Amino acid sequence: MELLQISKKELLEFVGTLVSGPLDVFGVVAHDGRFAYDKLDSAANLRLDFDETLYSPKQYLFPPKDPVLSYTPGDAASCAPVYAEKDQAIIGVHPGDMAAIAMLDKAFTENKIDAHYCTRREKTTLVGIYPTKPGKYRFTSSMIKPEEPYLAADAFLIDMGDDSYTIEIVTDRGKEFFSASAAKPATADGKAKAEKMKTAVKDTVTLKIKREDLPPFLDGKERHPVWETRGAKCFSCGSCVTVCPTCYCFDMLDELDLSFDYGLRFRTWDACVLEPFAVCAGGHNFRTKAADRIRHRLYRKQKYLLEKLGLAGCVGCGRCKTACVPDIAFPPDIDDDLLRKEAHHV
Amino acid sequence: MKPKVAFFDFACCEGCQLQVANLEEDILGLVNLVDVVEFREVLTGSAPEYDVSFIEGSITRPEDEARLRDIRSRSKVLVSYGACAATGGVNKIKNLWGNIDKVKKEVYDKDAAMPHLETYPTKAVHEVVKVDYFVHGCPITRSEFLKVVKALVFGTTPDIPQYPVCVECKMLGNECMYDKGGVCLGPVTRAGCNAICPSNNVSCEGCRGAVPNPNNNAMHEVLAKYKLSVDDIKRQFTMYALDPEVGK
Repeated sequence: MELLQISKKELLEFVGTLVSGPLDVFGVVAHDGRFAYDKLDSAANLRLDFDETLYSPKQYLFPPKDPVLSYTPGDAASCAPVYAEKDQAIIGVHPGDMAAIAMLDKAFTENKIDAHYCTRREKTTLVGIYPTKPGKYRFTSSMIKPEEPYLAADAFLIDMGDDSYTIEIVTDRGKEFFSASAAKPATADGKAKAEKMKTAVKDTVTLKIKREDLPPFLDGKERHPVWETRGAKCFSCGSCVTVCPTCYCFDMLDELDLSFDYGLRFRTWDACVLEPFAVCAGGHNFRTKAADRIRHRLYRKQKYLLEKLGLAGCVGCGRCKTACVPDIAFPPDIDDDLLRKEAHHV
Repeated sequence: MKPKVAFFDFACCEGCQLQVANLEEDILGLVNLVDVVEFREVLTGSAPEYDVSFIEGSITRPEDEARLRDIRSRSKVLVSYGACAATGGVNKIKNLWGNIDKVKKEVYDKDAAMPHLETYPTKAVHEVVKVDYFVHGCPITRSEFLKVVKALVFGTTPDIPQYPVCVECKMLGNECMYDKGGVCLGPVTRAGCNAICPSNNVSCEGCRGAVPNPNNNAMHEVLAKYKLSVDDIKRQFTMYALDPEVGK
């Protein structure tokens, strides 16, 4: 992997030129004492020293409400797909969120290629950053392997703790992206230090079970009392899902113009913890209880997707712990309950 | 033939009618779709029968009930719109008092016994007649009103959210009102307003009524996590009489 170095000042200057160019540039900005992704209108607002953002960057690849088809009612030939048109870059994606994008890439290309996702994805340059501060509830290294973020990233930044970043160039797109910057090849010393700096900030939380042991650990725990206990406190509000960097379930929605001459079909975020999520034909709901829904969510996070895609459906960002108002959604807490109750049974 | 549509009001501020009257350029599109035959706020005139009746306001007197039943009998489809009609809204606060005479005394004092001030505990429209569709909110959300009209004219079922406000609030990228020190009813209130209050830094007061199965018990966890008192939550639940049991 090619390694470059760039001063912080030079990087900001480079981002400044990007922001004034044709590209949509997204990055992390300060937001009411916390951090959030936003469209950058000035490089000066970019923060790369954030602990964790309110929401994940998945919104730029899989928008909450995304038009996918336009049509005239009654005229099948009028149906035309709607695709993203603008090139974009996301600067400042933590390794966990980057691994989450790698998982989305796999989910949206497995069996069938999702043209809407892939079109947007192909127009996107992803620049990661290794965290410079611990997240309040981060347990990323328990959930992802160090190489997984590189399945999605075009480049990664490493804060060297002085006034510079090392840039790992991962793809040709990443190389092209930084070619207009003042970045120079990294020195041998810089390379050795960069590798150390990548793991300088430790996770706050450690999962007691190894990732590869999670699927067998969850086997046979479908009727465990923890689901009822936590389900009794669940609002079924979807917050754990809407903030999750990996959740990709969606609903379809038609909107007609008042003239009835023109309609748009949208893809909108859905969430398996919402009560109407599993309603099917005839009004039957096969997960009517909150307990069933939160079990299903955790199994998706720690078992099903891992088995299906080889990548975890949870990347340990801890956002669900912050977002869940009654605080029942955090996977490490649920695993602890499962471990504790298991010990009780013995 | 365009469907004949009528608007009626009972105990309310008529603010939801104003939302319809204030549709601006969309009002032209609306009158192209439907034939408005009765709408006190906008035009004079009446009709013997209606394809769709929109009912605003709560039912609070015996004569309201008779009038509503008459409208229902002359309407093919009846839509209860606005919080007062759809849930009883702020008019249901008086039901929390338990005793209607106490309410009359508090409001009308020495005139409480006047015959034209006769009132009984508030009922939502569906508590009196069959309601086919609801448009929630205080006031209604104009885009949702149009969505319902379009669906009815086009012949599909209006897609009214069955999940809480949090979904829309999070999709907009808002920070949680609880994290800002607020007491928000978003987790138990039906979405569809596009989280307009929390998006403007005001906690949800539940004007759209509860989701189909609200987990009000979970509010106890919230009290503990955010160090709130039962009174904090109860006050929030009172405005739209969302659940008189909360805090008991």
